[in-house]
Amino acid sequence: MRRTWNIIKRGATHFWRGLREWCGDAAYEKYVNCAARKGQENPLSAAEFYVERLNQKYSRPNRCC
Amino acid sequence: MKRLLAVIAWVAVGGVGAAALSTIALHRGEPISATWFVLAAVCTYLVAYRLYSAFIAAKLLVLDNTRATPSERRDDGRDFVPTNKWVLFGHHFAAIAGPGPLVGPTLAAQFGYLPGTLWLIAGAAFAGCVQDFVILFCSIRRDGKTLGEMARQEVSKRGGLIAQLAVLAIMIILLGVVALVVVNALKSSPWATFTLASTIPIALLLGVYLRFFRPGRVLEASVIGVALVLFAVVAGQWVADSAAWSKVFTLSGVTLAFVIILYGFAASALPVWLLLAPRDYLSAFIKAGAIFTLAAGILLVRPHVLMPPLTRFVDGNGPVFAGKIFPFCFITIACGAISGFHSLISSGTTPKMIQRETHARFIGYGAMLLESFVGVMAMVAACAMTPGVYFAINSPASIVGAAPEEAAQTISSWGYPLSAATMTGLAHAVGEQTLLNRAGGAPSLAVGMAQIFSSTIGGERLLSIWYHFAIMFEALFILTVLDAGTRVGRFMVQELIGRVWKPLGRMNWYPGILLSSALIVAAWGYFLYQGVVDPLGGINSLWPLFGISNQLLAAVALVVATTILLKMGRVRWIAVTLLPMAWLVVITMTASYQKIFSPSPRIGFLSYANALTTQIAAGTVPAAKIAETQRVIFNQRLDAAVTAVLAGMILVLLVEALAQWYALLSRKKEPALHETPYVATQWAEGD
Repeated sequence: MRRTWNIIKRGATHFWRGLREWCGDAAYEKYVNCAARKGQENPLSAAEFYVERLNQKYSRPNRCC
Repeated sequence: MKRLLAVIAWVAVGGVGAAALSTIALHRGEPISATWFVLAAVCTYLVAYRLYSAFIAAKLLVLDNTRATPSERRDDGRDFVPTNKWVLFGHHFAAIAGPGPLVGPTLAAQFGYLPGTLWLIAGAAFAGCVQDFVILFCSIRRDGKTLGEMARQEVSKRGGLIAQLAVLAIMIILLGVVALVVVNALKSSPWATFTLASTIPIALLLGVYLRFFRPGRVLEASVIGVALVLFAVVAGQWVADSAAWSKVFTLSGVTLAFVIILYGFAASALPVWLLLAPRDYLSAFIKAGAIFTLAAGILLVRPHVLMPPLTRFVDGNGPVFAGKIFPFCFITIACGAISGFHSLISSGTTPKMIQRETHARFIGYGAMLLESFVGVMAMVAACAMTPGVYFAINSPASIVGAAPEEAAQTISSWGYPLSAATMTGLAHAVGEQTLLNRAGGAPSLAVGMAQIFSSTIGGERLLSIWYHFAIMFEALFILTVLDAGTRVGRFMVQELIGRVWKPLGRMNWYPGILLSSALIVAAWGYFLYQGVVDPLGGINSLWPLFGISNQLLAAVALVVATTILLKMGRVRWIAVTLLPMAWLVVITMTASYQKIFSPSPRIGFLSYANALTTQIAAGTVPAAKIAETQRVIFNQRLDAAVTAVLAGMILVLLVEALAQWYALLSRKKEPALHETPYVATQWAEGD
């Protein structure tokens, strides 16, 4: 029973993490981690990053027919 | 022992797939269960993925997991971001899955279920998936370069320019035709128009929320947005029932066309965070939900396919669009089997996020298989309704008549029994004034989806809600393609006119933004308008034009892929990309020739223009209609010119590529590959 619960819990955690990554919720966290890893000073704020990312994403084909 | 069991299992999967394919191919007479379609598709996909994609990965591309991908070497947390392969699969699929695999198979159902289903399955396995996979691989090896850049570097400078122009051309035609599908779905439908109109203020609300209150919290904003959109679907019924409000939202085709043109301009010129991005989030969630629900519905309901395997319209006189199975079935299906547009995604964001080279197989080949499955489901949904109803919804008034009695009589005379009461009753059941003459595929697909959904939940009582949910789902993500495409088109136009006058090329200079937005919107808006006023329904002219341009872009991608593989010395297995490329060239050239020169006015643009000119000269056109007829004549000639230019471009590219291949194979020229140099990965195997 406990084992099944653990499997469900692990699956749900993976799914939630994947969903957040897929929809872009986790993008800023990833950016901040990357900036910290590379020792980058003054990383963008969440709002700045959001707008910059959108501008970049929608400047090239990203939705198909 | 384990290996033996695996072999037995795969032989069993192959056997079931072959049996299912034989059943749908050889079945005659009684309706056939949709289960056979699902089995045929899924088993073929599994075998193709397990064997063919593995062969391509191992022998043709020789994927190398010791090689660092662009996301590892250039990780910046913004553009180059190492991403889990399942998440990236979701990203890639959401990007490639558009309205094409839903609309194309629905239109191609006029030939019967068989030709379209076979091409959806085989075309994806041998052409579409191969294109997506190989282009993704080529782009990974070039730091995520675009198709145009790869064509310029690996084929020729002119090749790069042709690829860029082809992308712009396909974008303009695509946007015009998908907007026409939306117009045909919404015209004279206050419920559907209100629901779709509501998504604009909802998107604006989400845009402000995500920008100022909770930056980047897409998930919570989308939950709020999806709830509001679903409420708008229900509220649409109240609007339709209100005499005053239904008048406001009952719009003609021409009015809707202008509203959509204005919307496209606004979405391109306004900041991206305000309207475009939040709509895209809404669309992505609803798209995923609707596709999953449709798959579950088909598996649960297992509807019977009522359309015959082949209809009488294989002779080329179909009411939905004219032309024989070869080449028009392939041109019409387009994205569900192979789409040139996918090569832009495979050489866009995806290669910059992939963690390992071997993931390219799962993401490039696998996502296209899933898209093909969406196409098969659309085919099932379209063929699950009675053929008479299908033809009544999708045929233009000029062929079947505008009144239910007239349409029923014409369609019954073709051998597909239909009564006027059936159409009136169905329109009433789905909450519409009429379902006649709604060419474009969206309404008939919505009826098919609603019938499947209501058999699972709600029964007849919820048929109208399900129908409008399906219309909203189709229109919402068509508009997402429209606004995202208009914006990208604007960037391309700015880049081009910026070469003439630099300030116009600046992406943050507002007069430049407004001018380029107006230019791109005017270009696709013109095609939209000509489709709306076309007496033959617009889809008859524009969908084949879109199919031709899309398949030509796929041919461009496969030319680039073949050239790169030849330079890599993979001559032995070159047929993997060469054969689909040759097939695409043959079908697009045949379709282009027929669309320009066919003596049948319903197929050939020029013969239709000449027939109308003769009518004017003979005085058979009423004086009040002469100006309108002359406009139709001009549009037909314009369509002929556009088709000729597109076909000419691919021929030029092909000649350039053939010269290059000859030089490489005869060793007159040393192959010059433009891959980024090998860098060993720093990641451990399990990372």
